[in-house]
Amino acid sequence: MVGRTSRVTETPTRFQDDRCDLYLIKFVENAALEESSVFIHNPHSSALQGGRAVASHSNDISILNINQQVSAVAAGQLNDSGCDTLLIGTPTNFLAYDVENNSDLFYKDVSQRQTTFYELKDQVIRYQRSKIRESPISKQVADGANSIVTGRLGSLENPLAIVGGNCSIQGFDFEGNDEFWTVTGDNVCSLAMCDFSGDGTLELLVGSEDFDIRVFKEDEIIAEMTETESVTSLCTLHGSKFGYALANGTVGVYDRTARYWRIKSKNQAMSIHNFDLDSDGVPELITGWSNGKIDARSDRTGEVIFKDNFSVAVAGILEGDYRMDGKVELICCSVEGEVRGYLPASPEMKGNLMDVNLEQDSLRELAQRKQNLLLELKNYEENARVGKGGGQEVDQSQLGIIPANTQLQTSLLVNPGSEQVQPHVELSILTTNETVIRTVMIFAEGVFEGESHVVHPSQQNLKSTLQLPVFPPKDIPVDLHIKAFVGYKSSSHFHVFELTRQLPRFTLYIPCPDGYAEPKSYCTFHINERINRVVMWLNQNFLLPEEIEGKDTALDIMFLSLRTGNPVAIKMDQSGNVTIKTDDMDLAGDIIQGMATFLGIEDLLSTAEFPDHLEEIRAVLLKVDELHSVRQKLTAEMADHSNLIRSLVVRAEDARLMGDMKNMRKGYMELYDLNRDLINGYKIRCNNHNELLSCLKLVNQAIQRAGKLRVGKAKAQVIAGCRQAIKNNNVIGLFKIIKAGSL
Amino acid sequence: MAAGTGTMQMDPLFLAMSFYRRRKLEECAEVCTQLLKKNPYDQASWCLKTRALTEQVYVDEVDVDEEGIAEMLMDDNAVAQLPRPGTSLKKPGTSIGHGAPTPGVRPMSQAGRPVSGFVRPGTQSGRPGTMEQAIRTPRTAQTARPVTSASGRHVRLGTASMLSQPDGPFINIAKLNLSKYAQRQNLAKVLFEYIFHHENDVRNALELAAKATEECQFKDWWWKVQLAKSYYRLGMYRDAEKQLKSALRDQDMVDIYLYLCKVYRRLDQPLTAVDIYKKALEKFPGETTLLTGIARIHEELNDMTKAVQLYKEVLHFDNTHVEAIACIATHHFYTDQPEIALRFYRRLLQMGVYNAELFTNLGLCCFFAQQYDMTLNCFERALSLASDENMSDVWYNIGHIAVGIGDIQLAYQCFRLALASNNDHAEAYNNVGVLEMRKGHTEQARAFLQAAAGLAPHMYEPHYNHGLLSLKIGDLQSSHNSISKSLEGYPDHSDSRNVLTQLKEDFAAL
Repeated sequence: MVGRTSRVTETPTRFQDDRCDLYLIKFVENAALEESSVFIHNPHSSALQGGRAVASHSNDISILNINQQVSAVAAGQLNDSGCDTLLIGTPTNFLAYDVENNSDLFYKDVSQRQTTFYELKDQVIRYQRSKIRESPISKQVADGANSIVTGRLGSLENPLAIVGGNCSIQGFDFEGNDEFWTVTGDNVCSLAMCDFSGDGTLELLVGSEDFDIRVFKEDEIIAEMTETESVTSLCTLHGSKFGYALANGTVGVYDRTARYWRIKSKNQAMSIHNFDLDSDGVPELITGWSNGKIDARSDRTGEVIFKDNFSVAVAGILEGDYRMDGKVELICCSVEGEVRGYLPASPEMKGNLMDVNLEQDSLRELAQRKQNLLLELKNYEENARVGKGGGQEVDQSQLGIIPANTQLQTSLLVNPGSEQVQPHVELSILTTNETVIRTVMIFAEGVFEGESHVVHPSQQNLKSTLQLPVFPPKDIPVDLHIKAFVGYKSSSHFHVFELTRQLPRFTLYIPCPDGYAEPKSYCTFHINERINRVVMWLNQNFLLPEEIEGKDTALDIMFLSLRTGNPVAIKMDQSGNVTIKTDDMDLAGDIIQGMATFLGIEDLLSTAEFPDHLEEIRAVLLKVDELHSVRQKLTAEMADHSNLIRSLVVRAEDARLMGDMKNMRKGYMELYDLNRDLINGYKIRCNNHNELLSCLKLVNQAIQRAGKLRVGKAKAQVIAGCRQAIKNNNVIGLFKIIKAGSL
Repeated sequence: MAAGTGTMQMDPLFLAMSFYRRRKLEECAEVCTQLLKKNPYDQASWCLKTRALTEQVYVDEVDVDEEGIAEMLMDDNAVAQLPRPGTSLKKPGTSIGHGAPTPGVRPMSQAGRPVSGFVRPGTQSGRPGTMEQAIRTPRTAQTARPVTSASGRHVRLGTASMLSQPDGPFINIAKLNLSKYAQRQNLAKVLFEYIFHHENDVRNALELAAKATEECQFKDWWWKVQLAKSYYRLGMYRDAEKQLKSALRDQDMVDIYLYLCKVYRRLDQPLTAVDIYKKALEKFPGETTLLTGIARIHEELNDMTKAVQLYKEVLHFDNTHVEAIACIATHHFYTDQPEIALRFYRRLLQMGVYNAELFTNLGLCCFFAQQYDMTLNCFERALSLASDENMSDVWYNIGHIAVGIGDIQLAYQCFRLALASNNDHAEAYNNVGVLEMRKGHTEQARAFLQAAAGLAPHMYEPHYNHGLLSLKIGDLQSSHNSISKSLEGYPDHSDSRNVLTQLKEDFAAL
């Protein structure tokens, strides 16, 4: 390897074989080579010295060559051999490997198509390594297998290795048959298995880059939670509770769809894990942070019950009997390779892990509270004194007393925007009398950068009303938690008003002004509901200046999306046939999903007619084919070149050993030229690969959109049908499924 | 005959086909050339000529494989770098104890692998650690490795086309429109084999195969296998694996299974290969190639008990299987049952195998089975049949017999003769060295032993002998060096260990 320090970049994974030995698996990525190895450490011969595990032999560590960038590692039981299988994901491939027998279970492409598709860059790099050094090659877009879990999903018979990749999720059994396949909205970042519905079978939790946590019961989505950043890790706690971590440093716990708690840190959570550290019978959420902090939080309250610090970022957390003494430890590993183990507290301590500081802490807390109460008491006393004096109204304002009937009113309005101003939702806050608003703090997930927003007008501009623009980035309902400081202009005392206002799902839409033609793409379906109910849904979910009147005969309404500037029409006749006309398939999907949830529809079939989208897909598929054939040619060329390079290296070395410097020089010069060619070829291939990936992603997203136009069984059917069509390269069939829902 | 002058002339195409069937390939190509001169668009004769040319250089892809120096040193195809003993072909001899004799009993071949009883490719697996070692060691004529598996023989086969065609190549591949040919399945297959075997242009072959397999909607297993072959040649084993597996889904073929196992062997996963062989055996029970494949892997993993069991099973289905008989015989010979080995060798003789190696083996078996009358007769036969290549081995073995009967003078002469016919014969150098040592010619002995050690660094004997010699003359340092090398080759050699302990005591005393 080139002389650079290697570092542990990814989660170590626990791995168990039939002798119940524990293995620690890390993978080390060499930044210069983009090539990673997987290390397996099996401690079954290590000795204990003063309570510390001391590695005794160097042959405890075995190294696996992957020759590609490793993007995910996991271990789990796939067959009944009693041994765990090591699962390794790379940007393009997925390998299930039996470490004990040095034998592959299977090796799969996790790219979508059946055609050839693979990596050769490792070869380039290897030959670089042999003699010649070049500047590092540009980083490739990570894709393929991003995350792996194993387990028995739903009622499926065999345990599966589930691989989350480029918008798609695949499940393989021990023979490598893909038993499970579905798509999600974006690249999968994290996966977990959890008994979400409490029915005794496991559901799959998928966290993706589009900020969503989706719950799959087999291949049907049963719940969807929207978060504020890409979901980097998920971990089951117990029962239907699970923890999650986001890329912006948020960590929290959900029980089914209800969030118990969440905290946000400026550091990033590198790894989360469940472990019963305080021996109270309930596992805690252990979080490893990018600044090296490790904390254990209670699953109910999020209260920290234990913490420790590493000097560098945490790489991963796992549990296992690493010291071979029959006790399960919590094992934490830092990116510099430091490994620490923590034993759970003895049962007598009953969850009082912080006992050393506990008394001091509570003392401090009580003192603080006393201070606050004293302050409050003083205020009341002051008020009472003023009240007794009477008739001194002027003083009241100075003391910060405001009329008892002061109210804070909020209203939401859609501002269609002008040339200077982007369309936005205008939130206006006003008090009911002459009091002014000093400061407003709004806390809303995913709307503002950093989640909260503070408006603090300058002293001259203090008014009793305040307008501020809100730009919801997506069509999701958001709760705005507003805190406003209300008082008199001159006063230094303010009263805090707290209120919560919900932003409906479809905010940036206004009733369409005249002059817009109806969009030509549409989606139709039938529901057994009265029109009034649909109107009710419309009123709840759109931000309308006046409510739509419920009519019995027919509904025909058109909105204009301020985000895209395209109109959308919703029509419904008396018999329950609904038509949604829009050019935006995503929007149609959102409307259908929202309506279905509101009306409690479990199965919904629809027909879709989106010619523009279909045309786009057709173009993408054509491009994919083209890219594939170019790729194949490039690949063969590179393999051929690398064969040549091999023989050149050997010949040059031969010349060197024989002291034939002239020929050696010649050989190396040739090698240098060829290598340069090869690297250029690699760059071309890299571009080709990236383009291919983005195309494949588009295809997956198209399938996802087609699925969103249906609900329940019909949705799963569409996704499975699309997959089959793509597998068989049946473009016409694919279009038919997207249009009609089945072949 | 084509020379018929007017009376009766055979249809030339029929004649060409007849030549082809009788494997008179050059004549066939000749007739086709004449036909093509008359009508360049004659597809039938074009096809036949292509096939005739291919047939001349056609090799069985499944069996022929030799890992080149470059692949061995510069590729990390194997997943595990430090596999568990007995799960990898990289370190043979790691699983001694499964009935395999120690190197003290069973000698190594000249390339450093236990003698298997049957010459086959891929058995030269003395794995050098560095490129320097790799280039330095196989400098003898019999142990040379190709530089890469893509060069070596394949290149030589490929250039055959240029020699036989004085007026340029028959088909100019660079000018072909491969997509057009890919559409015509009847021509494409012939053309592919020509490009692959005759021209050895794997890149274009791959392109043709890829286009052709697309033409038939990925349904033709044959094209998938050809794709896999091309990938294998290019060193893209994972892709080869994928194509083969896909081909197996379309069609169960022994050939595909064999090729798949070959890929796994390259990936250094012998146990996976064994699994595949076993799966194939369920579909094709009693197929000897598959059984032999498993046996070979066990043998390479030094698990002789299982290997012999499988070879016996092979004989159950095919009692004329030369490889199985030879391997069983060798096993019996080296496990001290020369009488049984003799029976197997006689079986080979009955079957018509008639060469120097067999007679040498027969001679050795006779000697160790105490049938002295036959011994020298056998060796005489062997000598009369021996070619330049194996003459030295025959003399070496006669020398061995001479040592056995105590005729040191004869032994010396035999070893000298062995060296005369092949001056790279490391074993003979070693034995001459030992004889010189016994005569008290220390300097000569040292020279011979050093020559032997230089030629075959994997052999422990010259190192040990040299160590002993150095110890005797008091050169403790070089003795220690040599003994350490000897222990590298054969870690359990007790004599070497004894010497080493003695040396350590001596060093401590200093």
